[in-house]
Amino acid sequence: MSMLVPVVLLLLALAGAPLFAIIAASAMWGFWQADVDLQTMAINIYQIAEMPVLVAIPLFTFAGYLLGESKAPQRLVRITDAFLGWMPGGLAVVALTACALFTAFTGASGVTIVALGALLVPALQKAGYPEKFNLGLVTTSGSLGLLFAPSLPLILYGVVAQQMALETPVSIDSLFVAGILPGLLMLVALSLYSAWQSRGMVRETHPFNKKEAWAALKDSAWELPLPVVILGGIYSGYFAVSEAAALTAFYVLVVSVVIRREISLRRLPVVMRDSMKLVGAILLILGVSLASTNYMIDAGIPEQIFNFIQQHISSPITFLLLLTLFLLVLGMMLDIFSAIVIMIPIILPIAVQYGIHPIHLGILFLANMQLGYFTPPVGMNLFIASFRFNKPVMQLYLATIPFFFILLACVLVITFWPWLSLGML
Amino acid sequence: MRNLLKWLYRVEDGLLVALLLAMIVLAGVDILARLALGSGMAWIAPVLRVLVLWIGLLGALVATRSREHIAIDVLSRFAPVPVRTAMHFVAAAFAAFICLALAYYSKNFVQTAYEFGDKAFSDVPAWLLQLIIPITFGLMGLRFTVQAVQALLPSSQKVTA
Repeated sequence: MSMLVPVVLLLLALAGAPLFAIIAASAMWGFWQADVDLQTMAINIYQIAEMPVLVAIPLFTFAGYLLGESKAPQRLVRITDAFLGWMPGGLAVVALTACALFTAFTGASGVTIVALGALLVPALQKAGYPEKFNLGLVTTSGSLGLLFAPSLPLILYGVVAQQMALETPVSIDSLFVAGILPGLLMLVALSLYSAWQSRGMVRETHPFNKKEAWAALKDSAWELPLPVVILGGIYSGYFAVSEAAALTAFYVLVVSVVIRREISLRRLPVVMRDSMKLVGAILLILGVSLASTNYMIDAGIPEQIFNFIQQHISSPITFLLLLTLFLLVLGMMLDIFSAIVIMIPIILPIAVQYGIHPIHLGILFLANMQLGYFTPPVGMNLFIASFRFNKPVMQLYLATIPFFFILLACVLVITFWPWLSLGML
Repeated sequence: MRNLLKWLYRVEDGLLVALLLAMIVLAGVDILARLALGSGMAWIAPVLRVLVLWIGLLGALVATRSREHIAIDVLSRFAPVPVRTAMHFVAAAFAAFICLALAYYSKNFVQTAYEFGDKAFSDVPAWLLQLIIPITFGLMGLRFTVQAVQALLPSSQKVTA
């Protein structure tokens, strides 16, 4: 019986049952076995109302949706083009940078491909890049920027890790700092590949144009303070994450509805509601995972797994290699938010036993998940791109292959070179 | 019945939007207060935290309407139609069962808080703030039940839940 329940739950998950129900069921089964009153489920869900940092999640998500619905993506592409378009492989670099920025601010939910892809693919096409390259680039960029503040996965990892009460504290601020170099590594590696791709192409870059740069700056005048104030505020420690989120939501709301009037008052409630559906889906999973995490810790499950693994693996390097393999598969099956709340409570205590720093683990975990977004056959962004650009999924599998291997190399560097994540702390 | 549903949807959407607006305004006021007075207003922080819970659960309830819960959608993409139907039914029925169970146990939880007269912050009774848990799970349970039944109906007879 005790083996049967996990198997049945796994089958239900594969049949498409909502993940929150699966997690809730496993926690309830565990508590039931241990004779704990199931009211504890509600107590755990109510914990959502006891974590101040969670305020950031609805606020950032709303701001991201609003930005995606406004004309901010067009302006973002224009301004990056004006300033980076002169470089070799310029437009591709523009695409990568714009996507990374946009993803960091909108929380990696596939919004980037929908909002920016429609602008970038035709532009790249016109500049003379082959279609295969364009599709691969935009699909890959949909999850680029995950490691930059204030991305939601970084925040969520911090929230979950803080619940574990480890000896080394995991502050969200240090996660934001830790993500910078690994994120830049990915961005630079893809930019170099793009520059190399554009060799021998009819010169598609344009020289730097002062007039256009100034015009683009003026065009984005209302958005420009946002990254400066938010990132500056967070990195200098002047704002807490939740305050930065409040400021962003308020500012974006005023600019896009009152000042620019790109979102009508009639449209606003729809955007609000749609963004909160995603928030609800994430927080519900988080709430029930708080219960399952509590159960697992009480039952000592991470120790049991650790003892089992340790019988076979003693070196941290082998452990990290196997972890990478495991996370790649996991990233294909689970979206990043569920992966964090389900797997981190199990993986983190084990990794700490192998001497891996919790912040390094967070960065390498998210870097792996970023790959999972477009790992065939089921990476979510492959389907979003297939839908958005009206291309068969098969074509996107092929298009993303070179990008996959470049980022895989980056993930390995991030995994085995902890300094990259920890050096700036 | 149709009208009742429409009315319920309006209430859910309206409440969700109003709470989010309240959150944006209160969080903004809190920062201003901190900048101007040196410290935030004491009652805002706990209200914001409770708003997160309410917005999260209401958002989840609205997401159930349009079947936007996070799920592993691997097999049904490749499964033949009859298998897919069976999978939809089992998945929805299972989710309905779990939600109704959660609603039942959280009702007990709220009842306990009511009987003991627990206070959340200031003088606000805790049960009032917790009430959202059994309500949203109960409605989600009903919604998943309807979806389970619908999975079995021939596609021509499907009505919106």
